[in-house]
Amino acid sequence: MNMSLLLNWKRLVVVTTAGLLGLSARAADAPDGTEFFEKKIRPLLAEHCIECHAIGKKTKGGLALDSREGWMKGGDSGPALVPGDLETSRLITAVRYQDKEFRMPPKRKLTDAQIADFEQWVKLGAPDPRTGGTTLSKKEINIAEGRKHWAYQLPKAQTPPAVQDAAWPRTDVDRFLLAKLEAKSLHPSPDAEPAALARRLYFDLVGLPPTPEQVDAFVRDYQSATGNRQSAIAKLVDSLLASPHFGERWGRHWLDVVRYAESLTLRGFVMKEAWRYRDYVINSFNADKPYDRFLREQVAGDLLPNGSVAERQQQLVATGFLTLGNTNLEEQQKKLLDMDVVDEQLDTIGKAFLAQTIGCARCHDHKFDPIPTRDYYALAGILKSSKTLEHSNVSKWLEFPLPLPSGEDKQYVEHDKAVAKLTASIKTAKESANKAVAKKATLPSGALDAKVLAGVVVDDAQAKKVGDWTGSRSTKTFIGDGYLHDDNQGKGAKSLTFQPEGLKAGKYDVRLAYSPGKSRADNVPVTIFSAEGEKVVRVDERPDPPIEGRFVSLGQFRFEQNSAGFVLVATEGTKGVVTADAVQFVPVGQIAEPSGTADAAKKDKPDTTESVKKMEAELKKLQESGPKRPMFMSVKEDNAGDTQVHIRGSVQNLGAKVPRGFLQVASYGPAPVIPEKESGRRELGEWLTSRENPLTARVFVNRAWTWLFGTGLVRSPDNFGATGDVPTHPELLDHLAVRFMAEGWSVKKLVRELVLSRAYQQASVAADVRRLQPPQTSDPRPQTQASQSLLTSAATGQEIDPENKLFWHANRRKLDAEAIRDTVLQVSGQLDLAQGGPVLKPGTSADYGYKHTDSRRSVYSPVLRNSLPELFEAFDFADPSLVVGKRSDSTVAPQALFMMNHPWVMEQSQSAAKKLLAEPLADDRARIARAYRLVLGRLPTDGEVTIALKFLPADSAASEAAKRADAWGRFYQALFASVDFRYLN
Amino acid sequence: MNASPYTRRHALQSLACGFGSLAFAGIAQRAAAAANPLTARLPHHEPRAKSVIFLFMQGGVSHVDSFDYKPLLAEKDGQLLNFNDARKIANSGKREESTQRVMKSLWPYAQHGQSGRWGSELFPEMARHADDLTFIHSMHTEGIAHGPATLFLHCGSTQFIRPSMGSWVSYGLGTANDNLPSFVSLSPSAGNGGPRNYGNAFLPPVFQGTGIGKAGTPIIDATIRNLTNAKLSPAEQRRNFELFQELNAEQLKKSPGDAELEAVLASYELAWRMQNNAPDVLDLNKETEATKKLYGIGESKTDNFGRQCLMARRLVESGVRYIQVTYGDNTANPAWDQHSNMPKHKDHALAVDKPVAGLLEDLKARGLLEDTIVWWGGEFGRTPYAEKNGTGRDHNAGGFTVWLAGGGFKPGTSYGATDDWGHLAVENKVHMHDLHATILHQLGLDHEKLTYRFDGRDYRLTDIHGHVVKEVLT
Repeated sequence: MNMSLLLNWKRLVVVTTAGLLGLSARAADAPDGTEFFEKKIRPLLAEHCIECHAIGKKTKGGLALDSREGWMKGGDSGPALVPGDLETSRLITAVRYQDKEFRMPPKRKLTDAQIADFEQWVKLGAPDPRTGGTTLSKKEINIAEGRKHWAYQLPKAQTPPAVQDAAWPRTDVDRFLLAKLEAKSLHPSPDAEPAALARRLYFDLVGLPPTPEQVDAFVRDYQSATGNRQSAIAKLVDSLLASPHFGERWGRHWLDVVRYAESLTLRGFVMKEAWRYRDYVINSFNADKPYDRFLREQVAGDLLPNGSVAERQQQLVATGFLTLGNTNLEEQQKKLLDMDVVDEQLDTIGKAFLAQTIGCARCHDHKFDPIPTRDYYALAGILKSSKTLEHSNVSKWLEFPLPLPSGEDKQYVEHDKAVAKLTASIKTAKESANKAVAKKATLPSGALDAKVLAGVVVDDAQAKKVGDWTGSRSTKTFIGDGYLHDDNQGKGAKSLTFQPEGLKAGKYDVRLAYSPGKSRADNVPVTIFSAEGEKVVRVDERPDPPIEGRFVSLGQFRFEQNSAGFVLVATEGTKGVVTADAVQFVPVGQIAEPSGTADAAKKDKPDTTESVKKMEAELKKLQESGPKRPMFMSVKEDNAGDTQVHIRGSVQNLGAKVPRGFLQVASYGPAPVIPEKESGRRELGEWLTSRENPLTARVFVNRAWTWLFGTGLVRSPDNFGATGDVPTHPELLDHLAVRFMAEGWSVKKLVRELVLSRAYQQASVAADVRRLQPPQTSDPRPQTQASQSLLTSAATGQEIDPENKLFWHANRRKLDAEAIRDTVLQVSGQLDLAQGGPVLKPGTSADYGYKHTDSRRSVYSPVLRNSLPELFEAFDFADPSLVVGKRSDSTVAPQALFMMNHPWVMEQSQSAAKKLLAEPLADDRARIARAYRLVLGRLPTDGEVTIALKFLPADSAASEAAKRADAWGRFYQALFASVDFRYLN
Repeated sequence: MNASPYTRRHALQSLACGFGSLAFAGIAQRAAAAANPLTARLPHHEPRAKSVIFLFMQGGVSHVDSFDYKPLLAEKDGQLLNFNDARKIANSGKREESTQRVMKSLWPYAQHGQSGRWGSELFPEMARHADDLTFIHSMHTEGIAHGPATLFLHCGSTQFIRPSMGSWVSYGLGTANDNLPSFVSLSPSAGNGGPRNYGNAFLPPVFQGTGIGKAGTPIIDATIRNLTNAKLSPAEQRRNFELFQELNAEQLKKSPGDAELEAVLASYELAWRMQNNAPDVLDLNKETEATKKLYGIGESKTDNFGRQCLMARRLVESGVRYIQVTYGDNTANPAWDQHSNMPKHKDHALAVDKPVAGLLEDLKARGLLEDTIVWWGGEFGRTPYAEKNGTGRDHNAGGFTVWLAGGGFKPGTSYGATDDWGHLAVENKVHMHDLHATILHQLGLDHEKLTYRFDGRDYRLTDIHGHVVKEVLT
């Protein structure tokens, strides 16, 4: 029996006893009690409660109020009432509307008299003659029973089955597939033509098309190796696996799965260090990092032992995985926000690593899978034991300095020192300049004209006053005509709002000028309302203001163009006089105000002296060119401990504490023990990658299969639960999973094994294949005219297995957004193959309207949640807020509009044309052929040549060069827009 | 245009198709079970409305200054009294009252129309239409800050990635037009959820909203992305299109009858039709001066929102199902977000009042109001007391007002109430989930049946909540 059950059971005993006591106590007046129930309570229940709380009706929250047994047993939150005890009876607190989260009836509060009736009833011991009612029996999840589902059984080593056509299979993978085909009297399709195979391999392994020369080389190799074509294929595969572009292609697959992005929807916050995680992923795939280690690093890299600083860096950056969720940092209920973050992490870990929808168990036991709420909170406790956000009005993710090899951080220390020194000099120089100007400008009365001050100044005269404020000039230092004070009266009812007009977007040092003195308040609440949210700063107005004897800095804040930002000085909770003189907004990082203002006063403005200007320029240069201390995003061990069940997912309604742990249904043998003072993330990593975890290896080999074959052995790659698909080839899935683990979780070995299967190398066939020829599967000769030889088998296949679940042919697949973009750039000669590093333009503070202008490979295009590259959006890029194991596959008009009209497509087409026309080719026919090979990887048909020649201006001196280039550009555009470019055979 | 066989066939087919009509899942296609997901679908029950225009007052318009008349506020103006302030409670986690200064409405109220609905001088033009409006005064929602509440308003969730309401409607009903999207968002804000507020999330991409223009930029030159080609002349564009289709047709010769590949050709045909027709729909110059004047077009204050509203009417006429018109901006404190300086509300009111009234009048005159739901409101309301005793009001998700018109909503009525302060909804409370359920109901959709299975779970716009508020329906 688990803890929560035990607790319920105990409660039930207590309630029952109380009930009995109540019964005996009121035995004498039982008739009265029953009468009271019949007269007052039954109608109340009937009219206001039963609609949602009765067996056979809605039974919301698991609570039935149509019988005595119903309320005694209670709902998800425990018994509805305790006879005789008003304060612990939830029914009473609910009808009293005491708790905002828990008010009944929800639509309208009962009248006071009705509430009094309920109270009286409970006081009476809750007499209720409606006995013998049924209660909702909660279905308990039976873990042992649940374990029977295929996905929770440990994968077993499998012997490849015997097949009739022994000549066809090249690998064990083939044998598993062929056995199933033969059982249905189906045959595999012939081998793909070598050129098509080369194109498929290039796109699948490195995400780029082969050049015509690369295709030719492979075809030559393939055709000369008559005895052993497989060796020619293996040679190509090995060279592609060794290519640094392999990690770019496969890393991107992984980034789909882990909802990788570089900004948050909320306010377009840019996570400028996220790229390190992207590079970590790419490097891991390139280095063939064992997948088990890869996962452990992502959930607990900060807690793992490490050999070198470089290794430590990698492991730390890996944990960025936990921080990439698209979180609404503005949620005001921070407890809820914490649980939302945990939920997002769990949901991602569940789907990405385990193909489990764990998130479903946050509010109730999983409806379909054997995941009790208890398991959810066992896992939640682990994640809750690390801090992911620093809370404030708008919370913030955490960044830490990357550890560096000893000595290497010297440059940063020195740089920081230099910056600090210069900043201090500027400050001093400015202050003395300011003081000088202020002194010069200060009238004998003590007044200083606000106009001479830097930035935007809102004087107290312009402030919006609430309540009585008294103007004064008693203290002789003030701005404008004096300052205001609250007379130390009417505390809490007064305020001053300083609203700057025409503030330009940017960061400002916000300063308050006040009039100091012994009688002043020491804790004046000053609220700064900026683009970063609102922040309350307490100002002690007794000492002299530290800046120029007038101002105190309230901090630096970002304001938007014409924003609604303001500063509010309040008096609530203050003892002593509150004063306010002015609020100054001084731009940060701006060298000087733009000159040319006619305002004479501006001339006298401080901060514009030559020396300050010079120093500021120097500082700017230093900051821009100087070394930037590398930072990384991560979480931090914090407050390790178990978490309570949140009943119905509510942070207000906590149940039993659950020891940290893992999914019971997917655990075999003893679970790793979590040290009391640690989060347990390291143990989570161990559990995830244990050989005794039935899910992890299966889920990944299925993902790899999906990425290579277009559909998975399990067609729901992110859901292996009861609502997901069952494997079409369970033995093959097991075989691959067991081998994957046995081979040291090597992704490259797995990929190699899959692409070297003959199944992968089959020809793809069009949807309508009825007219095609039958294959001759045991014929070792190359099937150069594959499409001619598919007839009867294809017809049968189409009939028996139209969805190709048995993989009797290769799937024709769409090129994804990245492949489209990279190919266009490669053909146009614009592709920049540089690897790694930050790509986001420096100084990007929000992602709104970001202009993607780089020509790096698409995997490096900043993934900005409010501003994805347009091509990505049009062509089904993975939603960067969700776990995406398989992308959408749409054909929609916006894609056509993009290809027809987007300037980028037209520009690239023009570049491609220029490049083509510069090539030493004999004539237009040769050029057309070249263009076809570059874009589509094949030669044009006669019909295509005819159409092209008709469109292109004749290759004669008469046609002007510019016009000719333009036409060739448009021709390229048509190729990019063509069906054959969109599909990979 | 080159009349290839598929052209003709698809021209016929696509009469029932819409923008991006041919989004097919590859598998379904191969199974030859391809059905166009945007083909008009049968509703769950007899619909009362065909389309929705949602006039989004971003930032949270103050209900106590506009339509929720609370004489007590004037009576107690300036007094320091205790309230349950939602933000304080959320921040502290403690359920404690805090002292707040009551602030009266800055604009005097009067009763309007035969129905005698209350309205302040903030929106005199809308008030003239009081007899056409259904006020819900007992709205309440989730999310104390803009980010969460705006997402909740659009997607029914403060935090999770969920499809927006317009996407659900497109998914449920398909499209009712030939060459336009079925869900359009006019001048959407980049802030507070940005594209998520008109995103399809896990629904197929075809149900994504199409943004036209963006907040903060005049709508006058805005159009659908890539609808026009700045570089090529119309003749060149036509020639290009012909070349595309000729080459594609040639490629298709290898696999005749392949519906999946034909769909690509059809998508080009549709794009071409859109390119030739949609600009007309968006072109307000087709309207008479009188109509433009009705919307306040040509007057500096109302020109932009007037254009948005008139565009919305033209889109409704053309069969667009769900149109959102945003009055807002891209900042963290958008438009109506008067944390200080309450009088600023008047500037915003001047910009929207006449265009909204014009829209109502125009829809009515054309007989469109009957089957169009006009929904006016923000992501929440504002507190009846001053924020930090200053000059503005904080957010109030616990009680606020929206109004609806047309589409089978009872005209000239009020439903529900906040407490005497206008603070919390207390009578006949209507949650945002309920409003979603009710609007879906009018479109013929049962919010409990409008589900989509994603990663093993059936999702709904209303999650596991929501009641249809029958009392506000005719």
